Amino acid sequence: MSHAVIKVVDLWKYYDEEGHGGNAALRGTSLEVRRGEVLAIFGKSGSGKSTLLNLIAGLDRPTRGLIEIEGKNLETLGEAGRTELRRTRLGFVFQFFNLIPTLTALENVHLSLELAGISNLQIAGEALAGVSLHGKERRYPHELSGGEQQRVAIARALVKDPALVLADEPTGNLDTMTGNQILKILTSRCRQTGMTLVMVTHTSLACHYADRILTMVDGIITDKLNSEEI
Amino acid sequence: MKRLILRITMVLIAVLGVILMLPVPVPADGWKQAITQRSWHFPKDHGAHPDYRTEWWYFTGNLVGEKSNRYGYQLTFFRQGIQTERKNRRNAWSIHDVYLAHFAISDVGNGSFWFSEQVSRPGPGLAGASTHGMDVWCLNWRARMKNGRVLLDAKHGGTYLRLELIPRKPVVLHGENGLSRKGPLGGQATYYYSFTDLETKGILKTEKMSDPVNVTGKSWFDQEFGSHQLSAEQVGWDWFSLHLSDGRDLMIYMLRRKDGTVEPSSSGTLVEKNGRARHLKLQDIDIKPLAHWKSPASGGLYPSRWQIRIPPADISLVFSTTITNQELDTAGSTGVIYYEGTVSGKGTSSHKPLTSEGYVEMTGYAGSIGGVI
Amino acid sequence: MKIVTKSFLRYLIRRRSLSLLQLMGIACGVAAVIGMVLSARSALSSFSDAVSFLQGKGTHLIERPAGTMDERILTDLMRDRAVRSMSPVLDRKLRLEDGNLIRVLGIDPFLDRQIRPELLHSPFTQRRGESGERNMEFFLDERAVFLEARLADKMGISPGSDMKTSRGLLRVIATFPNPSGEPLILMDIAHAQEIFELPGQVDHVDLILDDEVDFRSRWETGFRIQSSLERQETFRSMVGAFRLNLEAMSLMALFVAVFLIYNTTMFTVVSRRKDAGILRSLGVKRYEVTIAFLAEILILGTAGGAIGSVLGYLLSHFLTTIIGSTISNLYFFLRPTPPIWSFLILLSGIILGCGASILGSLLPLVELARTDPVEALRGRSASRRSGKKALKAAYAGIVVLMISLVILLASGKQIYMAYAATFGVLLGLSLLTGILLVYAAPALKVFLSLVGGIAGKVAAGNIRQNLGRSGVAVAAFMVALSMSIGLASMIGSFRESLAWWMGTQLRGDLYISNASETEVPLDFYEELRSINAIGGVDAYRKVKILYRGRTAYITAINAPVLQRFARFAWIEGGDEHWEAVKSGGVIISESFARNFNVRPGDTIALDGIGGSVQLKVEAAFYDYSTEHGLIMMDRSTYLNLFHDYAINSVAVFINPANPRRQELLDTVREKALARGLPVFTQKQFYNSILEVFDSTFAITRSMRIMAIVIAFFGIAGALMTLFIERQRDFGIYRALGFSTGQVSSMTLMEAIGMGFISFVLSCAVGTILAFILIKVINLRSFNWTIFFHMQWQPYLLTAVTAFLASLGAALYPIWKVRRNYPQMQIREE
Repeated sequence: MSHAVIKVVDLWKYYDEEGHGGNAALRGTSLEVRRGEVLAIFGKSGSGKSTLLNLIAGLDRPTRGLIEIEGKNLETLGEAGRTELRRTRLGFVFQFFNLIPTLTALENVHLSLELAGISNLQIAGEALAGVSLHGKERRYPHELSGGEQQRVAIARALVKDPALVLADEPTGNLDTMTGNQILKILTSRCRQTGMTLVMVTHTSLACHYADRILTMVDGIITDKLNSEEI
Repeated sequence: MKRLILRITMVLIAVLGVILMLPVPVPADGWKQAITQRSWHFPKDHGAHPDYRTEWWYFTGNLVGEKSNRYGYQLTFFRQGIQTERKNRRNAWSIHDVYLAHFAISDVGNGSFWFSEQVSRPGPGLAGASTHGMDVWCLNWRARMKNGRVLLDAKHGGTYLRLELIPRKPVVLHGENGLSRKGPLGGQATYYYSFTDLETKGILKTEKMSDPVNVTGKSWFDQEFGSHQLSAEQVGWDWFSLHLSDGRDLMIYMLRRKDGTVEPSSSGTLVEKNGRARHLKLQDIDIKPLAHWKSPASGGLYPSRWQIRIPPADISLVFSTTITNQELDTAGSTGVIYYEGTVSGKGTSSHKPLTSEGYVEMTGYAGSIGGVI
Repeated sequence: MKIVTKSFLRYLIRRRSLSLLQLMGIACGVAAVIGMVLSARSALSSFSDAVSFLQGKGTHLIERPAGTMDERILTDLMRDRAVRSMSPVLDRKLRLEDGNLIRVLGIDPFLDRQIRPELLHSPFTQRRGESGERNMEFFLDERAVFLEARLADKMGISPGSDMKTSRGLLRVIATFPNPSGEPLILMDIAHAQEIFELPGQVDHVDLILDDEVDFRSRWETGFRIQSSLERQETFRSMVGAFRLNLEAMSLMALFVAVFLIYNTTMFTVVSRRKDAGILRSLGVKRYEVTIAFLAEILILGTAGGAIGSVLGYLLSHFLTTIIGSTISNLYFFLRPTPPIWSFLILLSGIILGCGASILGSLLPLVELARTDPVEALRGRSASRRSGKKALKAAYAGIVVLMISLVILLASGKQIYMAYAATFGVLLGLSLLTGILLVYAAPALKVFLSLVGGIAGKVAAGNIRQNLGRSGVAVAAFMVALSMSIGLASMIGSFRESLAWWMGTQLRGDLYISNASETEVPLDFYEELRSINAIGGVDAYRKVKILYRGRTAYITAINAPVLQRFARFAWIEGGDEHWEAVKSGGVIISESFARNFNVRPGDTIALDGIGGSVQLKVEAAFYDYSTEHGLIMMDRSTYLNLFHDYAINSVAVFINPANPRRQELLDTVREKALARGLPVFTQKQFYNSILEVFDSTFAITRSMRIMAIVIAFFGIAGALMTLFIERQRDFGIYRALGFSTGQVSSMTLMEAIGMGFISFVLSCAVGTILAFILIKVINLRSFNWTIFFHMQWQPYLLTAVTAFLASLGAALYPIWKVRRNYPQMQIREE
């Protein structure tokens, strides 16, 4: 049994848009992430980071290649299995927060918990407190600042105690100070609980908090850190 | 007289009171009154007397079919004057009088009773009565005299009756030479005569029969006319017409008053075998109900078995209705409820046994007849 | 999944103004359908109630093939062994002071009791308490009548008072209720014969027969015997075309309503796409998203349906009155009872609202369930592929169009199929809207730039950019406007055709009486004929007959007179046809020819008073007087056939060259008026026909208005959605320096742009619709050819409507813009 939470082998993804032949977003990427690891994937806009993340989350399906999450092949899991995986083992943090606008902070967090099969407002409340949002449980997303919204999103991702947290440009929409706060919260919470965290980013900010940094260029991962770019 | 009252009442109620809900017309403007004795001319007087407001031709009889099944029938025509002159003589529909007819059959064999009624104004030949002799009709029901015989013809749906009646006794004039008084005042009277003994044969069919049956028997005919109004004191009456096996015919009417007494002018007629009639006064008649039947439909409690004694003629009879229910409940149309049905009985006359058949009519048991008006 | 559903439902409250518009859209759609269906049903059931109420217990009816019957037949009927009961009836009309025609039944209460026991029960019993003499008046007073209670109420007539009519003063001695709602006057048959001058005559006799076959064997010749069932069938077929019209209107309401609800649902889906994406990324299953969305749709559907059912119920009261007056004009005076409220109406409203919502949301729902979470998360990506989708929709539209056209051509006499196909054509065309919008975008940009400058230019881009939303809104609006144009063009063409027809057939200088009024006495006709200077006098007689078991009409005319003065529009040939008519041939209307598939040269068999007679059909002519079909013959032929001397109206022709023309006209008029006969000039006669025509289409006009109202909510909803969805864009506009006024004007331009495109498209689609209505629907349901007349009024009217509706629809979004724009910033959520 492998210790890898994520195992990606020779992953290819073509976007066949509007019938204009092939436009490869991923060209034979391979990757392994260990349990408890905090990984940053660094790359330019359009380098294929988000595609990789979506594929790992099972939101999208690769053209070719293998993805295993906790030893399970995503392809053989099927749609229902992938959905189940997202519910219980995966947390997601987005650049644009992506909170449900009609739900309060608490409800947004609780939603995630409920999907994992636990209906407990107290846990949701504690998760919010864990990201220093005590007292703002009843606010709606539009009543929160960007940083606060992202903290709700983090609480939403972590509350169900997933094996893996995926973060897509978690600070992309925040100022540096807030971004640092967010990253601090996200990484420390993950380390405390032993969750695996994969962040993709095009700025160096997130890299400072990572155990390991990979670079992505034109759909291929190089494990060499290009310090110039950082 | 009782029958006159009944007839008038019924006509008024039927034509005016309920069908059209016309209360009684104001008495007799322009109508002739039965005040003095009249000279009778038959067969002309079998016809209509349109100068009088009310008139009826009334047939009842007991019949026997081929398989000894017994039947009773009633076919009655009423003429009720509306106005003495037709307003528009050119228009056939312009009203002078209205005709009503009742048609009932009692099937003693299976205990069933059926009746129907028709109303029509004369219009273009729809109803009417000849003034030259007996020919009265209301739509397709008709009674007419031809060569001294009376022909009856009535049909309603699958029920019909076609009879030939031959008088075996001459006309009997009731009361004073046919002037039948019904109250102390002048004009409280009608002209009234009967054929009490009519040998009858013909065919009869009811809805329940697959084929018509040939029948024979005896019928009774009354004709009465006048313009009199009923007094409100009488609650109803019992009327009997009986054919006795010794060849005599007996008619009795008992007029019941509100206070429970019998109207003193109640009386009867006994017709001998040779046709001679004898007037019976109230004190000549002793009548007692022996049993009763309560109508489930109307709630009326009718006598169903009687004892009659006529001491002057040494007649003693016990008789009863042959079918329990012969009540005509016309509440839905004419609104009158009365009992008209066949009876039969046994008794003695001058200690000799005899049997009798006939008809009984009882009114005022289910609601007061007099009170309606 | 409680929270998922909750997250969707909160939108209803958060975006209340949009929810309200959506709700109103559904409510209006449901109201239109419910209102139309309820009123059509109650009017038609009042009609058949009236028929069956007056049939009473009667099993059959006997009458002459044409004209009245001698009352002496009654004694034969009375003695007939198959007859159980009978009641003679004089069935006539007279005109009330207010101009309405009312039916008068002359009956014999004694005989009628067997056939219609309830009819006379009440008027006689209600006077039980009064003095006896007065009730006798019904038989004794020649002017005494019973009046139907509701009409009495309406006219303020109480028992004992007089009533002015075209037949003189009548005295109402009692009133009676008529559950069928048909206003009636009851009169003793004796008096009816007098006031209608028909001594010794009856129109028909109602019968209760014991044995129909037996009876028919004796009465076949010279009489028409109809069972109650046959009569009801005859009446049903008589109003058949009218009923079809009502049903089509109901369907149209449904069609527009479903479209609108689809429109509404579509917006909802679009605005839920991103949430759906987030939820899916969190691990929510497809079906859970679907359920959450369905819950939202069903709540809107239920609430909208409930409101719609109430509105529809109120609307039906208004529509029932309109339909009632149309029935009165076409068939007989009837005041249909408005429908009674029941929870079934509420239930059907809700079912309709939900059903249409689900139907309308099917496609969007599939789209939502299929939503690729990755794409959804990127935001408003839907529009990106809208061009492709528009193309797909267009293909689907072309397929629908093809199928519908095939069905339309193949539907033959299947009028319902034809209607379905017509809606199919509309649907197909509406599916093309998206692609047309894409192609029209450059032109629209030019147009809107001209009208609104830079704001207009941006607005045009927005319409094109948000095709998913604007396309559906434009399609819905286009359909409503097309309906309006199509119906108006059809009616307009019909009216033109009618006017043309009147000019060919009705060329008399004066018309004395008309078919629904009093008859013209024979001696008056003779008197007119004896005036030598008059060019010609045409005695017109029109009677309803049964031809092959169906309603048709026979008219008798004076062929020589018409030959000289009229200019009949023959389908083939010319005035030489009159020669054959003069010698016993008949001519038939186009509707008769099509209805019964009879051609010139054929012979038709008519039941005359002496039995069946074969008549040769000489020619066919255009005619719009009855959709059931008309057989026209010379008066002499008619008299031989039916011995019916009655005359419905007389046309007087005077040679235009006659110097004494005016003087003659005045003489005739005076003579007619002296007899109490109504006189019409040619112009008045035409106008009265057009009046009836216009009232026939009153309901259609109401439906047009309703379609527009529904469409209005559609457009308003679309604009509102665009506004809400583009809050972020507003931030950009602000950053770019657009003033509040410019953004308002942009919103207005979007509305006007959509309205304009809808209108342009509807001009084409509406014309196509009009063409189908005229050449297919009308021809098949009424069996007559209407000539297409291009008219500008419907288009202008629709343009104004579209403009005003767009303007109205933009008001609220503009108000929102003015209030919110100054605070808007570029930010997410």
